[in-house]
Amino acid sequence: MAADPKTRFLVVDDFSTMRRIVRNLLKELGFTNVDEAEDGAIALQKLQGGGFEFVVTDWNMPNMDGLTLLQTIRATPNLKHLPVLMITAEAKKENIIAAAQAGASGYIVKPFTAGTLSEKLNKIFEKYGQA
Amino acid sequence: MSASNDSSDLEALFDSIATDYQPVAPTPPAPAPVATPAKSVDGDNDDLQALFDSVAAESAVPVAKGVLAAAAQAQGENWSQQEVVFNRIGHMARALHDTLGQLGYDKLIEKTVSALPDAKDRLAYVANLTEQAACRVLNATDIAGPLVDDMAARSKTLGASWDKVFANQMTPEQFKQLAVETRQFLNQQMPEKTQGTHAQLTEIMMAQDFQDLTGQVIKKIVALAQDLESGLMGLLIEVLPDAKRTEEVTSLMNGPVVNAEGRTDVVVNQEQVDDLLDSLGF
Repeated sequence: MAADPKTRFLVVDDFSTMRRIVRNLLKELGFTNVDEAEDGAIALQKLQGGGFEFVVTDWNMPNMDGLTLLQTIRATPNLKHLPVLMITAEAKKENIIAAAQAGASGYIVKPFTAGTLSEKLNKIFEKYGQA
Repeated sequence: MSASNDSSDLEALFDSIATDYQPVAPTPPAPAPVATPAKSVDGDNDDLQALFDSVAAESAVPVAKGVLAAAAQAQGENWSQQEVVFNRIGHMARALHDTLGQLGYDKLIEKTVSALPDAKDRLAYVANLTEQAACRVLNATDIAGPLVDDMAARSKTLGASWDKVFANQMTPEQFKQLAVETRQFLNQQMPEKTQGTHAQLTEIMMAQDFQDLTGQVIKKIVALAQDLESGLMGLLIEVLPDAKRTEEVTSLMNGPVVNAEGRTDVVVNQEQVDDLLDSLGF
């Protein structure tokens, strides 16, 4: 997958402010095709609807948290190929390890910068391009 | 409801439980019903169990186990087991209440309990103000962004036209037109858009006024939390067995690390995240 500006993103976070910030940053980076979900359960519904190519998710959310969402995505045949980037305030080493083991494509700790997001996205696009 | 109402209600509850059970003679404890409530939940319960046990033991309510066991044996049904739990909790509450009273913590806790709803409101207020501020700032950037983009695009177009002038690629008519456009841009469009952008910068600055208000509110809550902490710490040190004091809670949903000093189990920046993942081969 190349860094196609039409790549369809799903931004999952329970705080509307953070969804808006991530959406704005993605726009700055040239990605305007962005949808939002306020927790893992809603995200999963939207993902099942199809059409998404990239998931950016928070960890700590009501109903379904980000790790469960990631695990569910990886266990669902038609979704498991999706890149999942976690952007979270959870900064314990065991969190990072758990996310990596569950198949996260990248891990960003909050607070983060536009530069970090750009770097991680590029890295993921590179990796998926090779695969 | 005021705090004093609460405590008289509790007082009445304690008394009713205590009078219900005091007349019954103690019998030897039976293991089965006592073990049941502890098994139902996970590891945390053992800690609580130990805490309750130690409280109960200290406050000299040896009657409890025997009475409860006897009651449960007599009925042997689910309901009676539930009743055993309720009764046990009642005795624990009574014991805890007595202990607190003896140690002088009851007043402190009463004060804290009455302060908690207030703290809750205050925190809700903080959440509200910070959310509003975030929205104001995001709205301002949404408005200012296009203004700046427009200035940039317009400057670029004019700049390209002037490059043509310097490359002698313009007729006198086109040059005249360019001069008029440039003048209009400098005198009208530019000031309008910079003023518009400036207004949004001011809006962003003013949106930070929450910090003064939330700062004051948060300081009060920090003071309350400190009181509560020192009170509860004192209480725990009095009643908790040594072995239980050092166990910490492990969970994957802790939110932001507010104080990473001296901790080795957390990362403090993105480089450390990347290093950790690299070192693990991810």
